[in-house]
Amino acid sequence: MYEQMATSGAPLSIDSAMPLLSLYSFFLMGLLIGAVCLVGIATLPLFFAIIYAISLILKALSNGGSLFFKIALLMFRGLLRSPLRTSLSYLALFVLTAVLACIYTVINFIGIVTTEKDSNFKVIVTEKYTIPSQMPPAYEQRVIDLLGELPKDLQPVNGADDVIAWSFVGGTTDPTNPRPENAIFMFCVDPLKITTMMDGLEKKDLTDSEYAEMQRLTALMKEDYKRIIVSKARLDKMNLKVGQKIKITSLFYKDIVFDFEIIGELPDAKYEGVGFCSREYLDRMLSSFSKSHNNEQHPLADKCVNLIWVRVPKKESYERLAAVVNDPKYFSGPAAKMETASAGIGSFLDAYKDIFFGMKFILCPAMVGIMSLVIANAISISVRERRGEMAVLKVLGFRPVHVMSLILSEAILIGFFAGFMSTFLCWWLLGNVKIQIAFLGAFFVPSIVMLYGTILGMAVAFVGSIGPALSARKIKVSDVFAKVA
Amino acid sequence: MAEAIVRVRDLYKSFTRGTESIDVLQNLSLDVAEAEFLSLMGPSGSGKTTLLNLIAGLDQPTAGTITVGDQEISSMSESELARWRTRNVGFVFQFYYLLPVMTAYENVELPLLLLQLTAAQRKRQVETALDLVGLSDRMSHRPGQLSGGQQQRVGIARAMVTDPTLIVADEPTGDLDSKSADEILNLMEILRAQLGKTIIMVTHDPKAAARAQRTLHLEKGKLVDDVMNAPQPMRV
Ligand SMILES: Nc1ncnc2c1ncn2[C@@H]1O[C@H](COP(=O)(O)OP(=O)(O)O)[C@@H](O)[C@H]1O
Ligand SMILES: [Mg+2]
Repeated sequence: MYEQMATSGAPLSIDSAMPLLSLYSFFLMGLLIGAVCLVGIATLPLFFAIIYAISLILKALSNGGSLFFKIALLMFRGLLRSPLRTSLSYLALFVLTAVLACIYTVINFIGIVTTEKDSNFKVIVTEKYTIPSQMPPAYEQRVIDLLGELPKDLQPVNGADDVIAWSFVGGTTDPTNPRPENAIFMFCVDPLKITTMMDGLEKKDLTDSEYAEMQRLTALMKEDYKRIIVSKARLDKMNLKVGQKIKITSLFYKDIVFDFEIIGELPDAKYEGVGFCSREYLDRMLSSFSKSHNNEQHPLADKCVNLIWVRVPKKESYERLAAVVNDPKYFSGPAAKMETASAGIGSFLDAYKDIFFGMKFILCPAMVGIMSLVIANAISISVRERRGEMAVLKVLGFRPVHVMSLILSEAILIGFFAGFMSTFLCWWLLGNVKIQIAFLGAFFVPSIVMLYGTILGMAVAFVGSIGPALSARKIKVSDVFAKVA
Repeated sequence: MAEAIVRVRDLYKSFTRGTESIDVLQNLSLDVAEAEFLSLMGPSGSGKTTLLNLIAGLDQPTAGTITVGDQEISSMSESELARWRTRNVGFVFQFYYLLPVMTAYENVELPLLLLQLTAAQRKRQVETALDLVGLSDRMSHRPGQLSGGQQQRVGIARAMVTDPTLIVADEPTGDLDSKSADEILNLMEILRAQLGKTIIMVTHDPKAAARAQRTLHLEKGKLVDDVMNAPQPMRV
């Protein structure tokens, strides 16, 4: 196969890169598991502190004499009995639930962003054959015109206001030494469309006061095209403040230097790390470039629109429009294509299909299996070690079912804590990162993973401990003691 | 002699190991009187523990009957035996078998958890038992913080806390120095004399055996000797 490729001289395609990519992702998975392990170890003292504290509380409560608390106390003490094995089971369950929570989160997120909506959804127009997509600014108007030709009920509700063109502007305050601390990336758009067309910044996505502030800021931006708004994180990183004026030398657009005025910050956790500037400014800069260069166009003047979004009311609007946009008759220099956002993302993610499949149907079940074995092993060692004790309990009149439930509940208790602790940390740590993945919206860990993780932890612990518990149940007292002498 | 509280008749016990069946106890009969302190001697492997386990309801005989009080335990099911044990038998083991995660108090309390008692009753019984073995001041110690002799005293407190009629002890002094062993034997004596317990004790030590009122000798699953011992003074 490799020979064939070599002789045919075919360039390395995405397909032939797939195995490498999978390998890479499994390497990443390994790293993730390692990191999770470390976090798990770091939580061990807390885990034991909780167990210890609960056993103290139970001790105090059981002084009152309740049998329930006494038995619970026995269970918690059992966990403290052999810290090493308890830790091992805890870690196994911690890693399992944390990794599965991550996988669940990713799959859930992909599910959300690739689910097709059928009304009032956004579609993207991009260049058909080149990445990154760079289209002439005239394409925006052409799309608006084509929308106008659709039957009335298929047209966007707000007409041209439901179309937004994006240009990406990246630049630095120090062109001699561009570094992450002096660079900024901005969405260059029509300011008035920021709160109507940008995912995450629409009225429904903001609190009332955030929305009011955004309305005020975007109106100011519209008034003066030099005004920009930037995320607080970015300002902090660049050591800038609202009210300051900055000179940004564009990194994409050769020889263009912007004089921006920072007038405000983006709402918390939205478009973290980036900013918004006015399309008008870019347009003006491009035309003044040609004036000062003997009417010669800036090299990117006809390539300055990267994406065009359209909000369409119906699936049919999209289908009709897509047919036209994909038609070279209308868009040929360069060719364009139109996709739903989810389809666009979906086709991008298609390359990773195998990985997701592997994660969902191979990795997850394999992990559940392996962890059950680890737990079964750890618990059966401790059962073997405690055969004498189990036998004594039986001698004293405890029923086999008591002994069995003691083992099971110890395991389930570990599962409960490990599952909750790991998924809580996932939810809290990843949730606080609040990564906004460009137009995909903010990546988030659904809080339901805490419930699922806790249940999963308990379930796996149960499955892992059922074998040892049954064998503890069957311990014959006479076998244990007859050999003693 | 008082009426027999333990009656063993024509007892057989065999174990199968692989295809081989070994007869551990053969045609064994014996009576133990109420409030009697009986010791059981014999070479290793002669079936002492097996006999003790059968009398205490930890195992079921292959043939024959065992009656304790007015209950025929040889015909009880396993769960009936478990219930019966809690109330009627106390166990003392060579290696104490205390739960290491629990305090002396909690270890002694363990069998009481299976009975319908109020917290106050439970507390009183545990304290009485610990007081009797002289460990009132060690109640909240873990087994690891106690000497072997002290651990065995906790074991005895646990055995008598439910106020059983019968106490069985399998080499209770086997792992102790002679001073601690004496203390344990004194306690047995007190249990018998003051509380009227019936005690069956397996031992290898002739001196310990002589502390009992009667000594049985077991060899290859058969009773070979039955000796009344001279009353001995308590050694303090
Ligand atoms: N559960 C059992 N399974 C098989 N053999 C047993 C079992 N319990 C005891 N035995 C055998 O029965 C014999 C008597 O054992 P045991 O009563 O423990 O003797 P002793 O306590 O007098 O040393 C030994 O040969 C022992 O191996
Ligand atoms: Mg023995």
